[in-house]
Amino acid sequence: MDEWKPNPAVKPHKKRSWYLAWKYKLMNQRALRKLCQTGAVLFLLVTVIVNIKLILDTRRAAYEEEEESAQDYDDEMLNVEVPRHPVNNKKVLDVEVYSSRSKVYVAVDGTTVLEDEAREQGRGIHVIVLNQATGHVMAKRVFDTYSPHEDEAMVLFLNMVARGRILIFTIKDEGSFHLKETAKNVLKSLGSQVAPFLSWRDMWTFVGKKGGEVYGEKHAKSPALSTWGDPVLLKTEVHLTSVEDAECHWPDTELNRRRKRFCSKVEGYGSVCSCKDPTPIEFNPDPLRDNKVFDVPVAVIAGNRPNYLYRMLRSLLSAQGVNPQMITVFIDGYYEEPMDVVELFGLSGIQHTPISIKNARVSQHYKASLTATFNLFPDAKFAVVLEEDLDISVDFFSFLSQSIHLLEEDESLYCISAWNDQGYEHTAEDPSLLYRVETMPGLGWVLRKSLYKDELEPKWPTPEKLWDWDMWMRMPEQRKGRECIIPDISRSYHFGIVGLNMNGYFHEAYFKKHKFNTVPNVQLKNVESLRKDNYETEIHRLLGEAEVLDHSKNPCEDSFVPDTEGRVYVMFIRMEQEADFTTWTQLAKCLHIWDLDVRGNHKGLWRLFRKKNHFLVVGVPASPYSSKKPSSVTPIYMEPPAKEEGAVAVPAVAAAEQT
Amino acid sequence: MQKINRNVVLALLSLTSLIFLLFQLCYYKFYLSQKNGATFSKVRGSQSGQDSIRWHVVRKFLGLISSHNIPVYLIDPLILGLVDKDIEQIRNSPGGPSPECKYFCAPRDFTTFALLDKTWKHEVGLFRTAEKMGFQWLKIINKDPRLDGMDDLSGMEIPLHYIFKLASHAIHLVVFYERSGNFLWHGPLRLKQHMDRKFVPFQKLHFGRYPGAYEKPELLLVSIDDLKVQIPKNPSSFLEEVSNSRFLECRYREARAFFQLYPDDASLDSVEFRKKAKSLLHLAALTLNNLGVKFWLSSGTCLGWYRQCNVIPHSKDVDLGIFIRDYKADIIPAFKNAGLPLKHKFGKVEDSLELSFQGEDDVKLDIFFFYEEDDHIWNGGTQAKSGKKFKYLFPKFTLCWTEFVELKVHVPCETLQYVEANYGPEWKVPVKVWDWKSSPFNVQDNGVWPIDEWDNVIQIY
Repeated sequence: MDEWKPNPAVKPHKKRSWYLAWKYKLMNQRALRKLCQTGAVLFLLVTVIVNIKLILDTRRAAYEEEEESAQDYDDEMLNVEVPRHPVNNKKVLDVEVYSSRSKVYVAVDGTTVLEDEAREQGRGIHVIVLNQATGHVMAKRVFDTYSPHEDEAMVLFLNMVARGRILIFTIKDEGSFHLKETAKNVLKSLGSQVAPFLSWRDMWTFVGKKGGEVYGEKHAKSPALSTWGDPVLLKTEVHLTSVEDAECHWPDTELNRRRKRFCSKVEGYGSVCSCKDPTPIEFNPDPLRDNKVFDVPVAVIAGNRPNYLYRMLRSLLSAQGVNPQMITVFIDGYYEEPMDVVELFGLSGIQHTPISIKNARVSQHYKASLTATFNLFPDAKFAVVLEEDLDISVDFFSFLSQSIHLLEEDESLYCISAWNDQGYEHTAEDPSLLYRVETMPGLGWVLRKSLYKDELEPKWPTPEKLWDWDMWMRMPEQRKGRECIIPDISRSYHFGIVGLNMNGYFHEAYFKKHKFNTVPNVQLKNVESLRKDNYETEIHRLLGEAEVLDHSKNPCEDSFVPDTEGRVYVMFIRMEQEADFTTWTQLAKCLHIWDLDVRGNHKGLWRLFRKKNHFLVVGVPASPYSSKKPSSVTPIYMEPPAKEEGAVAVPAVAAAEQT
Repeated sequence: MQKINRNVVLALLSLTSLIFLLFQLCYYKFYLSQKNGATFSKVRGSQSGQDSIRWHVVRKFLGLISSHNIPVYLIDPLILGLVDKDIEQIRNSPGGPSPECKYFCAPRDFTTFALLDKTWKHEVGLFRTAEKMGFQWLKIINKDPRLDGMDDLSGMEIPLHYIFKLASHAIHLVVFYERSGNFLWHGPLRLKQHMDRKFVPFQKLHFGRYPGAYEKPELLLVSIDDLKVQIPKNPSSFLEEVSNSRFLECRYREARAFFQLYPDDASLDSVEFRKKAKSLLHLAALTLNNLGVKFWLSSGTCLGWYRQCNVIPHSKDVDLGIFIRDYKADIIPAFKNAGLPLKHKFGKVEDSLELSFQGEDDVKLDIFFFYEEDDHIWNGGTQAKSGKKFKYLFPKFTLCWTEFVELKVHVPCETLQYVEANYGPEWKVPVKVWDWKSSPFNVQDNGVWPIDEWDNVIQIY
C-alpha cells in the first residue's frame, strides 16, 4: 500500500509538469489521508477492545457477585411471603347468611367464614364482626340465648364492638327463649326490624353496620311450638369504606402501632381499641428491689381463649417486678387471635402443632413448652409456669423473689406454687404466711430445671397415654415424697369458666370464692422456717401453743370455733393410716373447701383459718403429730353419706381441672 | 471536494472515537474505584478521606448504640488482629488522645461488632435514630434454632444479623444467642428473596457464611483511636476461635423422620442409660477441656447425634475420637481423678492407641486415637485374647462444633462421609447386634501384635 502505482484510469496525455505537480500533491495528500485512516482504524479498534473488556469485566464481576451470594447467602427455602389474607381491592362484599334449625353458615365473597352443622352444639345467635374497610373477620361469637344470661353477654359484646364495624347475625336452632327486652332493644338500635318480635324457634338473619345502615334482614316465623321456622338465606352486598375511616387516629408511637395492628384485626377487647381514650398496653409496674426472679423465664401456657389470655397478660404485666423479656406465650395450635394478643403486648409467642387429643394434648403441649423454655433460656435454673386463665397477684414476683432460694437449696422441695387449694375467702387470712404441702397445686408455680431435665422430661407421658400432666406429676413415682411451698392467700386466681374440664357450675362451686391477694409488697413471714427441719420445729411450736377445741361439738357448725381472733386452735380427726381420708373429706365438704381429692396436707396435718383463727386439723393416729393429742380427746370420726347420686362422676373430671 | 469531505468525516470519526475512548477509560476507572475503594486508597497509601470515613462511621455507630444503652463488643478479625499486636500497650494506656488513627482507619469494607441477644430489648427506637443519623440498615432474621429440635413448635423468627451502612463503610452487627451447653451461637447470614443483594458485598463479611459457636467471652473496655470500645479480653484466643467456629445444627427434621420409622425406646432402662451416658459425656468433656485436648464424638455416639440427635439407647458406651498429635500423658490420671478409672489400654502412642475408662454402672467411655495419613485418617483396634490388630479407615475430615445433650462438642464437619465410612450406606437402619471386629464397614485386618509387646499394648485392669 505504501507504494504508489500508476493509476490506469488517469489520462497520460496531459501536460507533464502539471501532471507531475498534481501527482505529487496528490501523493502527499494520499499519504496524509492514509495516515489518518490508519489512525482512525486503530483508535476504533482500541475502543472496541476496551469496550469489550469492560463489558466482560463488568459482567463477570456481577456474575461472580451473584453467584457467590447465590451459593452462600441465599435462603435455602423459597421464602415467598404469603399474605395472611388475600389482597382485596374490591369495594363491595357479597355476603350470604343462612339460618336454620340444624345448620348456619356465613359466606363473605364466596369464602365460608362460619359453618356450623354439628348436632347438639352451637345453639343460639351467632355473631360475626367484619372490618368495614377490609372485610376481614374480626370476631366470631355464639350466644346461646336459649339459656339464661347469655343475652347479657351478647349485649356486653355488642357494646364493645367499635362503631362502623359490620355485624352479621344468624340463629341456629333456637335463640329467643332467654332473649330479654334489653337485648332486643340493642338489636333494634342496630337497625333490626324483626328483633323485637323474635319468638320461639324463629329463623333470623341480619347484616348491618354498627351505628349505620342496614344491609339486609330476613326472618321466618315458626308456625307452631313443635316446629321450626323455614330456613332463611340472606344474600346482600356490603359497601366497604376506606382504611382511614376505619381506623382511629392515635399519636404515632411504637405502642400505638401495635395497638393499630391489633385493633384492625380483632374485635371484642373493649377500651383497648377506643379511639378517644384507649386503655394502656404498657404498664410499667414498680420494679422490685433485689428481685431474685428477674431472670427467671415465665412460660404462659395458652390455648385458643384469646380473651382469657388478654386478661391474664394484663394482670401479669401489671405485677411488680415483672420482666416482659422473660415471658414466652406458648399457644397450643395455629390460632391467630391469641397470637395477636401476644403481639399487642409486645411479647414473644410460640405456636405448637397439636399432638394427640384432649388431656394428652394438653400434656404434650406442656412438655413442649417447658422444653422450649429451658432451650430459650439455657442459663435459667427455674421456670415460672402460668396458664392463660389465671389472674396474677400484684405481688406474685415479690412472693417468688422471697421464697425462691428455698427451692434452690432445699432438696426436699418439689415446687413453689402461688395457689393454695384450701385458700377460700373464709379459710385464708394471712398474706405473709407460707405452708409446706405434700400435694402439687399448680396454677402458677415454679419448676426447677434439674427436676425437669433429669427426672420429668425423659419420662414424660407419651402422646398415646391420655394422662393429665399434673396428675402424673402428683404420682408418688414422680414426687418422691417432696413437698411444695404455697402461700396461705393465693397469688393467682383461676377465672376460667370454659375449659377442657371446666364449666360454670364447677367454677362457681370450687373457684369463685377463692381468696386472692391484692396487697402489694407483702413481706413474707419467717421464710427460713419453711426448710425441711425448721418446718417441723415450727409445727411443734404451733401445736404446743394451740388450744384444743371441744371435740364433743359438731365440727361443721360455726360454733365449733369460738368467736375469737388471732388464736391457734387444733382439732383431731380419725385417720387410720396414711391414705385414710374419710373424715377429712367429710370435714372439707362441710367447710365448703376443696373436697374432690385430698389437698394441702403435710404429714396428716392441715392448716387453714376459721373466723380469723389459725385452725389445725391433725389425723390420728396416722400423723406423727398425733402425740400432741391429749389422751382425753377422742378423734372425731365423720361417716361418709350413703352413696350419693352423681357425686361419683364429678370428682374425676373436677380433679383434673384443678391444676 | 469529495476527498476533502472524506477527510473531514474521517477526522470527525477519529475525534468521536477518541472522546468515546476517554469516556470509556474514565468510566472503567470509576467502576474499579467504586468496587475496590479500599484497595485503591491503599495503593495511594496515605491517610486519605476513605480512611477517616471508616473511623467516623464507627464513631457514629458507637454513639448510636451507647445512646440506646446497647452493649456491643468489637469482634472484627482485622482490627482485633491489629489490636492484638499492641495489646499490652492498649491495656495499660489510660486512654489519652492517640497520635494517629491506627486501627479503625485500616482499610476494609466492614467493621464487625457483636451483640448478646439477652442484653437488649429489641427496641424499634434504635433503628429510627439510626435512620436519622443517616444510616441505612438491613436486618436478617431467620428461624430460632433453639426451637428447631422441638416437635412442631414455631416461634417468631429471630434477628441474626444487622448491617448499618453509612457512606462507603458498613457496620456488621452479629447477634449472639445463648444455647444449652453454655456457649454462644450466631446464625448464618442468608438473604431472603426480596432482599437487596447489593446492599453490601456480602461475600466479604467475616461472619455469616456458616453459623458459629463461641465461648462466652470476657470483655475489656479499651480506648483505641480515641474511641471507647469493648473487646474480648484475649484477642488472640478469640481470633483462634473465629477460625474454628463453624457450627453444625443437628438434623432435627431427619431425626424426627427416623423416629417415625423406628419409634424411640422409652423404656426405663433406656431412660436410665441415656441419663448415665449424658453425665459421662459431660464429665469426659469437662476433663478433656481442662486438659486442652480437642476431641470429637465418634462411632456410635456420633451416629446417634447424626441420625437421631440423641444417645442411642442400646449402644451401651460413649465413644470419643482424639487426634494422636493431641495425646497427652495426663489423660489417664486426669480421668482417674474425675472418678473414671482406666479399664483397658490397647496399642501405644505410635500405633493403634485406644483407651477405655469405666464409668458408673457399666457405662464405658472409649477414646480412640486417630492417625493422619496423606489421604486418609485411621484408628486402630486390638483383640485382647488373640493380639490381633484392626484398622478403621476414614476419609479426611475437619472439625465443627455442635450441641449435643446440652453440651458444646466437636463432630466431624463431613459427618455423612464419616458415618458412612464407619457404618456403610445402611447406617440409617438401627442394628442391635454389633461386633466391633467385623460389623464396621471400614474395618481391615492389620496383622498381630508381636508377642513380646503384648504386656505393653494389651493392658486390662
